[in-house]
Amino acid sequence: MFNNLIFIILFMLGFYALIMKTNLIKNVIGLNLMEAAVFFWVIAFSDIGGEVAIHKMGEEVTKFNDPVPQALTLTGIVIGASTAALLLTLIIELNKFSGTIDRDQLEGLND
Amino acid sequence: MDIRILLLILVPLGTAFLIPFIDLINAKLRRFFVLLGILLESYLIISIIINNFQQLKNGEFFLQYYLGGWHPPLGITLAMDALSLVFAVITALSLFLIVIYSIGYIGHHEGKYYVLYFLIAAASMGAILTADMFNIYVFIEMLTITSGALIGFKRTQEASAAAIKYLIYNVLAGLLFFLGVLIIYFNLGTLNMADISQNFASLESGIQLFISAIFLTAILIKMGIFPFLFWLPKSYDTAPSPVTAVLSGVLSKVYIYIFIRIFWTVIGFETLEALNLNVLLLDLALLSSFFGHVFALQSNNIKRLLGYSSIGHIGMITAVIMLNTEAGFYGGLLHIISHMFMKAGLFVACGYLLQYTRSHAYRDFKGVGIRNRSVFIAFIALLLSMIGMPPLLGFASKWYVLMAFLEARSYFGAFIVIFGSLTAVIYYLRYIAKGFEEVKLTEDDLKEEIYSRPLLSVLYREKIVSFITYAYTAIIVGFGLGFRFFDLPLRMSIESLMNVERYIELVLGG
Repeated sequence: MFNNLIFIILFMLGFYALIMKTNLIKNVIGLNLMEAAVFFWVIAFSDIGGEVAIHKMGEEVTKFNDPVPQALTLTGIVIGASTAALLLTLIIELNKFSGTIDRDQLEGLND
Repeated sequence: MDIRILLLILVPLGTAFLIPFIDLINAKLRRFFVLLGILLESYLIISIIINNFQQLKNGEFFLQYYLGGWHPPLGITLAMDALSLVFAVITALSLFLIVIYSIGYIGHHEGKYYVLYFLIAAASMGAILTADMFNIYVFIEMLTITSGALIGFKRTQEASAAAIKYLIYNVLAGLLFFLGVLIIYFNLGTLNMADISQNFASLESGIQLFISAIFLTAILIKMGIFPFLFWLPKSYDTAPSPVTAVLSGVLSKVYIYIFIRIFWTVIGFETLEALNLNVLLLDLALLSSFFGHVFALQSNNIKRLLGYSSIGHIGMITAVIMLNTEAGFYGGLLHIISHMFMKAGLFVACGYLLQYTRSHAYRDFKGVGIRNRSVFIAFIALLLSMIGMPPLLGFASKWYVLMAFLEARSYFGAFIVIFGSLTAVIYYLRYIAKGFEEVKLTEDDLKEEIYSRPLLSVLYREKIVSFITYAYTAIIVGFGLGFRFFDLPLRMSIESLMNVERYIELVLGG
């Protein structure tokens, strides 16, 4: 329950930054915040309070945390980082031409 | 186990990673390797068809490959049935034609361009061939990142702005897709598409609705259907012409394939019907088609106009597929093929013709037809095919779409098809008339033109570019006369699409 609450708060905060802020870098931060919320929720949801899923010889552990969501989240983090890098590169490029990163003052972004 | 399915993904991926090293050694070798990669890809596809021709005829065609030797549902499976084969063939053919066009068109930063291009080729092949939900997500994100970089490839203010807009919309869609995949995993404990499909009906209807809605939103953003279409025209406008041809000819079709795969094979159309989502989606798609054509009417920019027309056509295809009848699939798949060639051909021809003009605007289109008559006639043939003139491929596919709508008694859909054709007559004929207008050029104008259009100053590049334009026109005219050629592959793919139990059995049992 607590996990879901934090997920919703983080996700909505990110969505607010994406929609309401006019600064493009803040929009990217909002996008990353939403991604972070989803990743956090996935990891918290898959945690059932068990051991790390590494099987040691001669040792019997009955309760494992599922490693698949963790692996998938790792992939998601990598993809999120690369999209954020690409977006920031493009924003720098845009800043070189127009001298501003404000969404409302830029021509050609809002049509 | 057929290693060629894996090679279909690995060959373009390998080419993409090889090109920077080739550049370090000798940049002149680059084009040789580009051609080698794309020819190898075509050879693989053709050999798959020839070796399995008998199975294809009998409707038993199915190939798969287990990555790392892990059998499903544990490992990742690559599976190819008749539907995937049809999409793989047309994607490979488009990629082949456009890469040759790019050799003539892309003047500078060629190395970077080909790396991104082959990554798109690998990702679209992967998204078509995989039978694993998370793999689809990874390939979709690969498509998003590479195509975003290619949209900003011109490095102007407009291109960067368009790429930022494109990326923000599509990253959001990718995030929703990720959430959907993970919710499926938490509920069913599997990522294999056949396994999910087997157990999906046992979920509670609330969770079913949630998962379907998340996937629907993600894929509608990617395809550019009505409430989320605003990124599309701008990115089509500012990207270089071969990139636009890839965006409309390959990417949007791959997303339609993913849409069909997820909503027929994985989630199942019965589930959609039980949740009443199919009616909503049909209306959204038709509305999207309507708005696409209406926006196209007021557009004063040729590439943006073609983008809006793409929205109209993709909406129409989605709507006719959503009817879930055999005639609907037949018309939809045929229109996917014909739209793929028509739109890519139009952007290819635009890339040539817009070299003569200062901007993409309507007023600058003046006199283009007189400057190069033969390419402009090819352009007109492609436009007429978009409208739906009888001997061309566009007529055949639109006819089947219209018949499917009438058969299902969806009269609003039939109205949209005819409305689309009629508005298309208005907004295309305007450009044809403008192209034949007389224009007077002074010496200075001609000098300036030679500087501003490096493409036409080199003879072999002009030859390549115009040759690909003619090739697209030849495809449209040839298959327009012989569209019965598509009868067998389409029937096979509809059969394998409708028969979900067989797909599950083959993936899990083989």
